[in-house]
Amino acid sequence: MTKQLQEKDQFSGAKRYVLDPELAKIVNISRSLEMPLLLKGEPGTGKTMLAYAIAESLHMPLIVLNVKSNMKLIEGLYQYDTLTRLNDSRFGDSTRDVSRIEDYIKMGKIGQAFTAEERTVLLIDEIDKADTDFQDDMLDVLDQMEFDIIEIDKTIRARHRPVIIITSNAKKDLSDPFLGRCNFHHIAFPDPKMMRKIIQVHFPEIDSDLMDHAINTFYQLREIDMVEKKPATRELINWIRALSADPDFKPKQLVKGELPYLGVLFKKSQDYQYAANQVQRKKRF
Amino acid sequence: MFVEFFYKLKDAGVPVTPTAFLTLHKALANGLISSLSDFYTASRAILVKSERYFDLFDQIFAHYFEGAELPDVEGFELDEIAKAMLDQWLTDPQSVADALGVNAADLQNLSPEELIEYFKERLKEQTERHDGGNRWIGTGGTSPVGHSGYHPGGLRVGGESRNQSAIKVANERRYKDYSRMGPLTQSSMGEALKRLRNLVPAGPKDQLNIDESIYQTMKNAGDIQIVFDRGLKDRLKVILAIDNGGYSMDPYVHVVRTLFNYARSQFKELKTYFFHNTIYDTVWEDPARYRKPKPVAEFVKNDPDTRLILVGDASMAPYELMARDGSIYVHERSGKASIEQLRFLAETFPHNAWLNPVPARMWPYTRTINAIAQIFPMYELSIDGLEQAVNQLMAA
Repeated sequence: MTKQLQEKDQFSGAKRYVLDPELAKIVNISRSLEMPLLLKGEPGTGKTMLAYAIAESLHMPLIVLNVKSNMKLIEGLYQYDTLTRLNDSRFGDSTRDVSRIEDYIKMGKIGQAFTAEERTVLLIDEIDKADTDFQDDMLDVLDQMEFDIIEIDKTIRARHRPVIIITSNAKKDLSDPFLGRCNFHHIAFPDPKMMRKIIQVHFPEIDSDLMDHAINTFYQLREIDMVEKKPATRELINWIRALSADPDFKPKQLVKGELPYLGVLFKKSQDYQYAANQVQRKKRF
Repeated sequence: MFVEFFYKLKDAGVPVTPTAFLTLHKALANGLISSLSDFYTASRAILVKSERYFDLFDQIFAHYFEGAELPDVEGFELDEIAKAMLDQWLTDPQSVADALGVNAADLQNLSPEELIEYFKERLKEQTERHDGGNRWIGTGGTSPVGHSGYHPGGLRVGGESRNQSAIKVANERRYKDYSRMGPLTQSSMGEALKRLRNLVPAGPKDQLNIDESIYQTMKNAGDIQIVFDRGLKDRLKVILAIDNGGYSMDPYVHVVRTLFNYARSQFKELKTYFFHNTIYDTVWEDPARYRKPKPVAEFVKNDPDTRLILVGDASMAPYELMARDGSIYVHERSGKASIEQLRFLAETFPHNAWLNPVPARMWPYTRTINAIAQIFPMYELSIDGLEQAVNQLMAA
């Protein structure tokens, strides 16, 4: 519990999240239909940030389940800590009662969301990493809003139905039964107008020349084909940060085609070289 | 209500399900939707589950709603939605009763006909209460949800309203790039690359992982648990043969080469060759097909375990494929018809696939495509086709 509060405290930024009205509508519809909302989109379009923003604006605690590739569903629900129990039974110097298995059950993230005192926002991040079975099983649990703890033969039922946000990076579709139970939205990459707003939110005092040129250049760079990982919002923000931190840098340099710190934008060496070549060529002509 | 719209989507190939359609009605019944743009957003979020179909959805939405007066609540449409509600009532009475704000037990005593009548009455009341007009939804409607703050705890949207009409939004076709149709383009490069990642060998699980076994045994409270890993196998060799002759192939040559070059590190060896239309006696290592010829006789000395991937539209005059002197180049006259050469290649490299940028539905109309597809398993040069091809290449 304390951990969640910390997470909430750390995040200072629903003020930093620019919400698309269309997306807001979809969030509201999913909430009232009590269905999980599945978000897809390129990396860097703010899928994860949305959950933070929702949690903040609804004043609900946020619980994040980061899905890993080899994750079993049960890890998200609860964990039976056999090792501690074995230890306690040998040395017996804890306050736990070794004969009570319940003392050794720890709730996973989904379990925490179900047993929380108040309604929570449950973010299931990057679900595409896990295999299909995990996804389908999890949706069953979320559909029924309950699961069994086999070891103590107890059913955990959700006290409050959490607001569930699921994100996926994969362009591959998830399984049909899974999709059938969620609402779906695809967050497109922000257009320059939207990007301007986003930058404004992150850098309230930014020089307008710098912003214009940086955003223009950014979209030009994104147009370069053959780049495997295109720079996203996160890269742009870091890039602007780098540019404004450099005392020698003048926004006009960008117009001339001098692009410092390309490495902030392109993170694969092949991409970096390719982009640098392209930039050089452009400069010459 | 909107039954026709639903079937239009279905006919166009958007995978929509009745369950999702009912969910949409639930949203309508909940009074969440009060304008066409709400309806656009909601129906897309609920009915369409992949961005690949967003474009198709946009087109149909625009087609269906553009210019047309919005359907009246009276009559047929109302009957349909009442029926839909009845269906839902049969499976889940409580949620319907909740949506209408009545006691589930009260409705239990009514016959189906009475129920439908009752639903219709309720629907009429509800529309009147929400919109004040006789339309179920209307473009000029005011929203009970959203930034007006009617919905308790609803998300604030900020002061903006969406002035664009939904049809206009739909007409913009913002999701064109995500459409699944059409062959591979540079925008789908990253995705295609993910498909290729499966092009790795997997041996049987026959090697003991000592660390993991100890850990799992401890976790099991001392009960021995043995963990096996997959044995390492040599990485694959891949030969890519691309038809780069003729304008029809131009847009794809570069995409395909880049794609495989990016994936290069996962292969043991990647060789690219070029040919024109089909393979006769030689393939070339240089794209101009001039400087570095490689006779097929030499080419087949590659490791037979190599994965052979051919890319081409396989469309040509039948004699180019079938005749013994079919080559359009005079110096290629070994007396073997190209189709025999292809068969020979397919036998030499049993793991093979042909990727064709021509859409699969057009294949039956070209004789040479049919003939070649009988020799090499042929797949569309699209994301899906690539996935199938990778499966085929990895099959033992």
